[in-house]
Amino acid sequence: MNIALDVQHLSKAYGKKQAVNDVSFQIMEGEIFGLMGMNGAGKTTILRMLATLLHPDSGDALIAGHSVKEHPELVRANICYLPDEAGAYRSMTGRQYLEFIAGLYFKEYDEQKACVQLGEEICGLGDALNRKISTYSRGMTRKLVLARTVMPKPRLAILDEPTSGLDVLNSLDIRKTIRRCAKEYGTAFLLSSHHMQEVQNTADRCAIMKDGVFLAEGTPQELLAKYNAATLEEVFERAVNGV
Amino acid sequence: MMHLLRKELRELMNKQMLLGLLGTMVLIIMLGVIMTNTMSESLESSGELHVIDYDDTEFTRSVISALEEDGYEVEVSKLVEKDNSVLMEEKDWKEAVLIRQGFTQQILEQGTAGEVSSLTVLQSTTSMDVMMSGSTSTDAFTAKVKEMLMAEKLGENMEFLADPVEVIPWTYANYNQAQVDSFALVNSLSLFDRLMPLILFMLIVLTAQTIITAVAAEKTDKTLETLLASPIPRGHVIGAKMLAALIVAVIYALSYGVGFLVTMLMTVSGTGEGMDLGQAMTDIAKLNQAVETLELQIPVWGWMLVILELLLTIGIALMASIILGALVQDAKSSQNASLPILVCAMLPYILSMISDIRQMEGITQILMYAIPFTHTFIATSCLRFHDMGLLCIGLIYQAVFLALMTAAALKLYRSDILFIGMPKRKAGKEKAN
Repeated sequence: MNIALDVQHLSKAYGKKQAVNDVSFQIMEGEIFGLMGMNGAGKTTILRMLATLLHPDSGDALIAGHSVKEHPELVRANICYLPDEAGAYRSMTGRQYLEFIAGLYFKEYDEQKACVQLGEEICGLGDALNRKISTYSRGMTRKLVLARTVMPKPRLAILDEPTSGLDVLNSLDIRKTIRRCAKEYGTAFLLSSHHMQEVQNTADRCAIMKDGVFLAEGTPQELLAKYNAATLEEVFERAVNGV
Repeated sequence: MMHLLRKELRELMNKQMLLGLLGTMVLIIMLGVIMTNTMSESLESSGELHVIDYDDTEFTRSVISALEEDGYEVEVSKLVEKDNSVLMEEKDWKEAVLIRQGFTQQILEQGTAGEVSSLTVLQSTTSMDVMMSGSTSTDAFTAKVKEMLMAEKLGENMEFLADPVEVIPWTYANYNQAQVDSFALVNSLSLFDRLMPLILFMLIVLTAQTIITAVAAEKTDKTLETLLASPIPRGHVIGAKMLAALIVAVIYALSYGVGFLVTMLMTVSGTGEGMDLGQAMTDIAKLNQAVETLELQIPVWGWMLVILELLLTIGIALMASIILGALVQDAKSSQNASLPILVCAMLPYILSMISDIRQMEGITQILMYAIPFTHTFIATSCLRFHDMGLLCIGLIYQAVFLALMTAAALKLYRSDILFIGMPKRKAGKEKAN
């Protein structure tokens, strides 16, 4: 299996605050990697640097072999980014939005059409795709934006709190979609979350962050065994409190 | 109740609102200062009379003396051989009354109206400017002649005494002269000259507000992050926004232009009811001839330059809006973000309505020229009065300004500032989870 993401000693500071401090990790193709941490731990900063929206102070990250510092335009051709609580253009219908996003990634009409068809299938919104996005519920919007994130079949999908604010059933749908896309299309996923249970049930590997550094990293099973815990919540508590 | 009131006031009276208030206050004060200066200059000059006395008789001298006794400061020239346009430029006169040879004879001996010429040097097409400086000397001289004749010859020929002076208007511009009333001439010229600043002002304000709101909405909805993380070059993102806003602006401009034009034509045709059509056509032909004689017409290449300045101005407004919109932190503050653009558009717009910016002096003029929009507001004036140097400098300045704004916008959209704010506000502001 190939390496989809190779993060090497990545650091970023905001003034005097060190948001991310010398972080390194790898994600393989088709692998789901969960980043856990409290507010201000540095999760979003890592995701934004990988999405080429922020510039790293030091270190680098290679996505499909391309450096985020040296070749951000090549990186962007291999990633899709879903920001936390991201919206969509409310004046568009769901289908128009998918078509617009497909147009950003593909030049050929056939490729765009295939991409939109996949997006329609992934989001499962059916006839509601013909309605304006302004009429969508939060869950419907989230399914739509997740579908647009994975439909171009990127090498790496970067998801910031993908189930934030959703009910249990919608969250389950989103998790199933992520697992399916990783398996079927070989897309690597990097997702951040506050929900330990979600990471435990979705991710192949995960990391716990505090104050910009990784406190622990491994498969959920490895972490449960290492911290002698029944759930990732217990792992998180023990890792953060240094127990 | 007080608890709620305090909360509502805290919501309404934020930093942006106070900045907006401050900006508006500065704008009003600046306008007040400039208007006061303009008015006081006009008032000062209204006490000065300029007389070219070709007749030079005891009667004309007595009229001039009477005017001086009334408190006027009268400057008199009797140089018959000198070209009047040269004389007026040398003496820096904007207007004068020329008493023709035989004036006294016509009035006192023949009992007919005496001829004088009302000379006006046209320097701008601002109606108020022309109205204020137009024919002060002629009006004062005519009134005094009437007053003196009334006192001397009361009851002799009341019809003649009611109108003892025949005024022949002469207008000077671009070292040319034409027998035409300056005010009528300016009115005939200024249909477009008045229309264009209004449309330009509305376009700047409207496009600025549209772009700032659109960018701020993209930022708060996080659709901007999605766009900037996509494979599309960032220049394309900015370019598409600008082009879309430009197309909308042109549609607005055309709609406004057609709307205003129809309204003006309707007004003109409405007020023209009952007029002698033949006479009206003759007047228009005469005015057109005067425009040609005075070289006040704008050639085709001139209009092309005006359109170029118009596009540069809208481009600058759009770029500034893209930058301001990107710096907006939330939807609420986007309402006030357009204030700097509004102030920069309103100042030259209002001032070009009431005064000729080209004639201003000192720091006021430097400040006005520093605003890139000003050069478009004065473009037609530069072309009509052959001020090509100023026009070219304005064009170059606008092009350089637009290039700098474009570079700044591109840099901003490639920088961290877009997502984490200005450097001094970085610490503690970023969501670093």
